[in-house]
Amino acid sequence: MRVPLSWLREYVDFDLSTGELVELISLRVQEVDGVSRLGVLEGEVVVGEVVEFGPHPNADRLSVAKVNLGGREVQIVAGAPNPYPGARVPVVLPGSVMADGTKLKKAKLRGLESYGMMMSERELGISQEHTGILLLDDTCEAGSPVEDYFPVGETVLEIDVFPNRPDLWGMIGVARELAALLHTELRIPEPAFGTGGEPTEAYTLRVEAEDLCPRYDLRRVSGVEPGRVAPLEMRRRIFAAGMRPINAVVDATNYVMLETGQPIHVFDAKLVREGIVVRRARSGEEITLLDGSVRTLDEEMLLIADEERGLVIAGVMGAEEAEVGDETTDVLVEVANFDGRNILETSQKLGLRTDASGRFERGLDPNMVGYAMDRVTGLLAEETGGRAAADTLSHYPEPVVPWEVPLRLERAKLLLGMPVEKEEATGILRSLGCEIQGEDGRLVAGVPTFRRDLRREADLIEELGRLMGLDRVPEDLPGVPQPGGLTSGQRKTRLLRRTLADLGLAEAITYPFGPDRWWRDLGLDSHGDVVRLKNPLSQEGSNLRSTLLPGLLDAAARNRAFGLRGGALFEVGRVFLSNAPEDRDASLRFRLTGELPASASASGLMGVQEYPRVGAVLAGILQPAGWNVAERRAGFFEARGLVERLVPGATFEPGGGGFLHPGRRAAVRVDGVEAGWVGELHPEVAGKFGLEGWPAAAFELDAEICEPDPEPRFEAYANVPAVGRDLAVVVDRQVRVGDLLEGVRSLRSPLLKELRVFDVYEGGQVPEGKKSVALSFTFQGEETLTDETVNDEMGRVSGLLEAEFGASVRTS
Amino acid sequence: MSVTGRIEEVKSEALRAVAGAGSTAELENARVKYLGRSAELTDIKKSIGKLPPEDRKEVGRVSNVASREIESALASRTKALAAAEREARLREEAVDVTLPGVPYPKGHLHPTLRVIDEVVDFFVGLGYRVAEGPEAETDYYNFTALNIPPGHPARSEHDTFFLDEGLVLRTHTSPVQIRTMLEGEPPVYVVVPGRTYRRDSDPTHTPMFHQIEGLAVDRGLTLAHLKGTLAAMARHVFGEGLKVRLRPGYFQFVEPGVEMDLSCFVCDGTDPNCKVCKGAGWLEMLGAGMVDPAVLEEVGYDPEEYTGFAFGMGPDRMAMVKYGIPDLRMFFEGDLRFLKQF
Repeated sequence: MRVPLSWLREYVDFDLSTGELVELISLRVQEVDGVSRLGVLEGEVVVGEVVEFGPHPNADRLSVAKVNLGGREVQIVAGAPNPYPGARVPVVLPGSVMADGTKLKKAKLRGLESYGMMMSERELGISQEHTGILLLDDTCEAGSPVEDYFPVGETVLEIDVFPNRPDLWGMIGVARELAALLHTELRIPEPAFGTGGEPTEAYTLRVEAEDLCPRYDLRRVSGVEPGRVAPLEMRRRIFAAGMRPINAVVDATNYVMLETGQPIHVFDAKLVREGIVVRRARSGEEITLLDGSVRTLDEEMLLIADEERGLVIAGVMGAEEAEVGDETTDVLVEVANFDGRNILETSQKLGLRTDASGRFERGLDPNMVGYAMDRVTGLLAEETGGRAAADTLSHYPEPVVPWEVPLRLERAKLLLGMPVEKEEATGILRSLGCEIQGEDGRLVAGVPTFRRDLRREADLIEELGRLMGLDRVPEDLPGVPQPGGLTSGQRKTRLLRRTLADLGLAEAITYPFGPDRWWRDLGLDSHGDVVRLKNPLSQEGSNLRSTLLPGLLDAAARNRAFGLRGGALFEVGRVFLSNAPEDRDASLRFRLTGELPASASASGLMGVQEYPRVGAVLAGILQPAGWNVAERRAGFFEARGLVERLVPGATFEPGGGGFLHPGRRAAVRVDGVEAGWVGELHPEVAGKFGLEGWPAAAFELDAEICEPDPEPRFEAYANVPAVGRDLAVVVDRQVRVGDLLEGVRSLRSPLLKELRVFDVYEGGQVPEGKKSVALSFTFQGEETLTDETVNDEMGRVSGLLEAEFGASVRTS
Repeated sequence: MSVTGRIEEVKSEALRAVAGAGSTAELENARVKYLGRSAELTDIKKSIGKLPPEDRKEVGRVSNVASREIESALASRTKALAAAEREARLREEAVDVTLPGVPYPKGHLHPTLRVIDEVVDFFVGLGYRVAEGPEAETDYYNFTALNIPPGHPARSEHDTFFLDEGLVLRTHTSPVQIRTMLEGEPPVYVVVPGRTYRRDSDPTHTPMFHQIEGLAVDRGLTLAHLKGTLAAMARHVFGEGLKVRLRPGYFQFVEPGVEMDLSCFVCDGTDPNCKVCKGAGWLEMLGAGMVDPAVLEEVGYDPEEYTGFAFGMGPDRMAMVKYGIPDLRMFFEGDLRFLKQF
């Protein structure tokens, strides 16, 4: 809501700087989003009488005027040709500061001195009009300040109105708040007009859709002088409040809307056939709106029609059919109340939001209709010469009356955490328009119908808190009667993240939305269980991820495009799979009403299953070579090492998705349970994700299975020296080292404390088709081991490797 | 020359040789030459028996003294030389300490999650538990149960992403309030960090962002408890001594609703050109309020017996303020130039 301060002063007196006013409203009412200024900020604007006006000798497009400023004559160069000798014009004098901050100086334009400037309506903040100089009324006296006739500068507050406060979408509502805050009087204009116009009852009014239209009032104003322009001050206020002045009739309705928050529509009475019908549209009914668009309506949309055709999409926008124009002399004024939710739905379905629909959708007070009707009638009579009908057609079958809300001061004190005195509370609620009765800390507030948000005790307590001032609420801490803490799962997630960060990876958070391309490029099925968005921002984000991989790959590719040589990213987040419930009806009921049948589980009825995952992508050069270390590149074993760190006891078997290098991928299992996968990216997939030619490896694990820091368990150790032995064996190339290690471990030697692979080698002295595997053993017993004991253990190892793997022990 | 005279001569010669030895090797040569098996002094000692008896005692004494003196000289010279040699070796071993060390990995935690961890730790310290909930949420939990029934104007302001019928991507973490309250009885003290989604994309809005929701329901909770708790949280994250102020706010599921501002931790309102608060002196921090009685009733709590407060804050924005990040969109691009700064 844009609130021009000069307009606000019509209803309430205040002696505050703009800054003080902004702070007061922000801290006690609603946030002030901004302050804008129009016209002349400081300086002097005076009435000038044009004495001479003619072309500039040195410029085709400029004119030059001699202007009488009351006792002195000055020369002014102008860009507009409309002034004439005798015309009264506003002249801003040198030294003045305009709304955009520029300071006007005496200037020489194409060789001629120009003292100040004659102003257009736009320059004065009156309207968007900028084709000519504003010509003032001939009664304005040369030399007198223009400020005597209307404000030449305006400050406008932009107030962010909460959806539950439609009353603040009108100047009077804002003024009421300010008057309450300042303990001062609120002045509401008294509408006044005579009657004697043509009767309204020459037309009929029929409200068919009563449920969507609690109130509809219609009044005729005839004898309107066609083509009138609204008075300058009305246009100025409308413009300052953010709307465009149009003509006297339309401006009067917009003015009253800005004043009261109540939208008003006017029909050209001559174009209305028989009467007004308020009905639901017929399915497929078309209407051509004022903005030229053709809209197709449905049966839930409310239409204001005459007996033959639709005239207005109720509360949203009018059609061309019966709109007022420059020839209009006889009007029907509609002031009505519509069901807010229905207006909102219509506005959303049509993608059409207007000043009117934005107000109606919040739910307006039907009792505002009467005041707004009288107010606009008064203005129409005054500004257009029209005469009001003596009768008003009104449909208002169930008048809304003020309701009562009890208020316990003890309760107010409890919720607000500060003392609330009866006198202060009563004063505040009265200033908001409530009638207060009751005693002994138990009050009853009669709530005015324009405050539809005040229904319950808590609503009144909110008003008390904010108008007393939230700065008065002290700071206190509750005594929390429970131990706090993270669940084991939450601790684990944190540990996972910290561990990966400690290992040198960077934590990313990526969008979980992705294009179809993700699944296609990874060779994954995108039809079955992918969750789709009904209204994605773009096709690029139409599905919910079923794996973390593509989002991280896209990020890696962006990093490459930015010129980085590589890096490692990880993310802990959820993936989504759809999980269509068997009983769709029960599912829909659960989703919409929370109703959970005894036999069903909430997760089964959700329809989407979420799985916590941890994933990483290593790409390019992870660690560039240093003077003392070799370069590290992304590869299977870099990724596998991370997995080993996160899932102790994991086993790795060839497997994992087809998007991985077929010879460098593994399914990760722990205790027989699938935990995820690890591998190098298939080169073709790498190419599709913008990583061609780069080494890239990745993993993705079930975050719940990870155990980065398993609970330790003490094991006794002996204070005797350990004995180390190395053994190199030559085996067939196909023999898997993991199986060799597993074989050695299967001996369950109580003395073998550590087993390590320290070399795998092919070529050289190793025969074709074979490889040499060098193992390092550490033995330790409860007593110092003899060579003989150790030799026996090594003998068992060699024996097993020879028997089970055809190994030959290499002698060095 | 008498034997003793010869011994003195040999001794002097040996002591000179020891003193003149420049390395442990030369010193060893001297030891072999003067004290070794075939040294002259050794020969003299071996031949003492062949001397006349009256000379034997004196020659024996003098030769022993000579041996001891030479040995002693050798020992001290050895020590000195070893020290010098060790020093020389250490000098040799000196490295260029200005060369960089072995590069141990340094990873990075996301700025939003750093803030979330800090806030969560604060509340855990107060005795709160941490609750989580689904990101694909039902219409009921996301809206209706929070006092936002179908058709309510507040719904249209949420720019919701819709999934299957009745399912949305949660537009706030508030549904977890409901889930938490439905699971148990008061007292309830929880914080709920998580991802949230709105169909909005411009320089200051991303379709995914984070919220931290909090809920306390107990007997006798007041707006003063809300203010004190959140002020302490803000000071924990942004710095001791900062001031807070409450403004009226509107959220459908609280009444009264408030917004909390924090005094600018950079300029405290003294710099009209402050980059952090833009000269306002205050930073918008969070929205909060006393839990609406309708919400308590919806989950079966008696609003006459229990009151509560709820709050929601945006850790992404808090991270922008705390670390001076100019653009929200940077958070979710996975750009290492960004991530590596945290």
